[in-house]
Amino acid sequence: MTTTARTFTGDRHRTAPPVVSFTDVSKSFGEVRAVSELDLQLHPGETVALLGPNGAGKSSTLDLLLGLRTPDSGRVEVFGTTPQQAIARGKVGAMLQSGGLMEDVKVRELVRLACDLHPHAYPVEQVLEHADLTDIADRMVNKLSGGQEQRVRFALATAGANELVVLDEPTTGMDVSARQAFWGVMRAQARAGRAILFATHYLEEADAIADRVIVLHRGRVIADGSAAEIKAKAGARRIVFDLDEYIGEGALRELPFLSSLEVSGRTVRIQSHDADATVHALYGLGLYPRNLEVAGGPRPGAGVHRHHRRRDR
Amino acid sequence: MNTLIKLEIQRTLRNKKFMFFSVLYPAGLYLLIAGGASSTEVVKGTGLTLPLLMMVSMASFGAITAVLVGNSERIAKEREKGWVRQLRLTALPGRGYVTAKVASAAVVSLPSILVVFLIAAVVKDVRFDAAWQWFALTGAIWAGSIVFAALGVAVGYLATGDAVRPLTFIIYFGLSILGGLWMPVSTFPGWLQDIAEWVPTHAYAALGQSIELGNAPDVKDVAVLVAYLVIFGGAAAWLYRKDTRKA
Repeated sequence: MTTTARTFTGDRHRTAPPVVSFTDVSKSFGEVRAVSELDLQLHPGETVALLGPNGAGKSSTLDLLLGLRTPDSGRVEVFGTTPQQAIARGKVGAMLQSGGLMEDVKVRELVRLACDLHPHAYPVEQVLEHADLTDIADRMVNKLSGGQEQRVRFALATAGANELVVLDEPTTGMDVSARQAFWGVMRAQARAGRAILFATHYLEEADAIADRVIVLHRGRVIADGSAAEIKAKAGARRIVFDLDEYIGEGALRELPFLSSLEVSGRTVRIQSHDADATVHALYGLGLYPRNLEVAGGPRPGAGVHRHHRRRDR
Repeated sequence: MNTLIKLEIQRTLRNKKFMFFSVLYPAGLYLLIAGGASSTEVVKGTGLTLPLLMMVSMASFGAITAVLVGNSERIAKEREKGWVRQLRLTALPGRGYVTAKVASAAVVSLPSILVVFLIAAVVKDVRFDAAWQWFALTGAIWAGSIVFAALGVAVGYLATGDAVRPLTFIIYFGLSILGGLWMPVSTFPGWLQDIAEWVPTHAYAALGQSIELGNAPDVKDVAVLVAYLVIFGGAAAWLYRKDTRKA
């Protein structure tokens, strides 16, 4: 599982210098090797999904990319310079799961701060509008719901004209319409020529948005290609089981490697491209699946979850 | 950067509890301690009357409240919540966060000094021979508060969560009492007086007392304050860098 398949790097970008370049980067936390000899290149205009279950090294990779942590060995370059310098020049916008917000201020005041700090800022009202915050611009930041907070984080990440936008599981906590609006804005950013890198544990989301998917496992790249290629390679397996009681779809959607999910009554049908990891996480959620069946090897990748894709687009 | 400082000031002004404690509480305490005291009787070993002595003490106390308590709790909380991390993803220079915190605390500490002066002048009829003494007093107490602002930053980067408040208050009350801000050091037993002499709050209050007597600040007091500034500032810088590496 350690061979790197690099079937897709986007020929149109081969000549331009890379946006992000990881050369043999490793990072450990105590005994845990979070990122292991990682080589990675991102090119201008690409929309790339970083896919993997929790603990695969996605957040650590993004932290290294953003200069929030320094690698134990290897080199991280962003726009040919250090992450810190790239950020100081206003080339990178980022939205982190762990990013907190300033309290006792209004949404507009905080967004104004972000615009003020950005070397190539957009007008405040425009940023508010794109993040769908105009209606709550005068609300205090500490009075917002989780989804609204997420939109504020998004506004902070897109306060100016960045050349790279980095998003760590950006749609966590958003409802379906917020999710759609969010990816709508991101697509517009991508069309404007920006590189976008986002972490997700959803193949579905990666497939709908990204033109390149990088799969991480234990801090290494185990696959790198278009979403269709990744799906074909991983193969979707069907997992069917019953639960003692009905639980909402929301909790199940958090399962890793999901490509589709169907709940009818107490019966759950899942398609996953890593059934082992999905089932493991299922127990991790404290659920006890009964009559568990895992079936099917690689299936024809396309069409596995077409109805989901259509909903997202 | 200016927007950040402005925003920091704005949110501090919105925090009514904090404003009460840093601006009105020292003035109230002044009235409580010096309100009924004689304006002619000199406190042993100081050359100053109680209303004069306490005016400097409470102005210093108020300034310390604004810069120490405000900074340490805020920084600890914002570190924990990830706001500091979020700010590092902006073009704000690395030290901008701390600079903005210290600058905005300095703005809030000024009214806490001036309100005590005002109350002392109006209620206890405190007057000086020369007008420059008022300006020098304000300047000395305001500038001296930077020592405690550095301490506040250090504590904010040292402690997290539930520990920061008790730690802050132990330091805050400990320094205030030991330095003689609440009662003159001359009322302490001898051995405690010997210790108090080396406490930063004591040197801080002594700056103001010298000016009230019409003298220049004592070289030893200035040296003690500078030494503490180096220690606290160094600790703050070291803890800040440690925290930055941890992300």
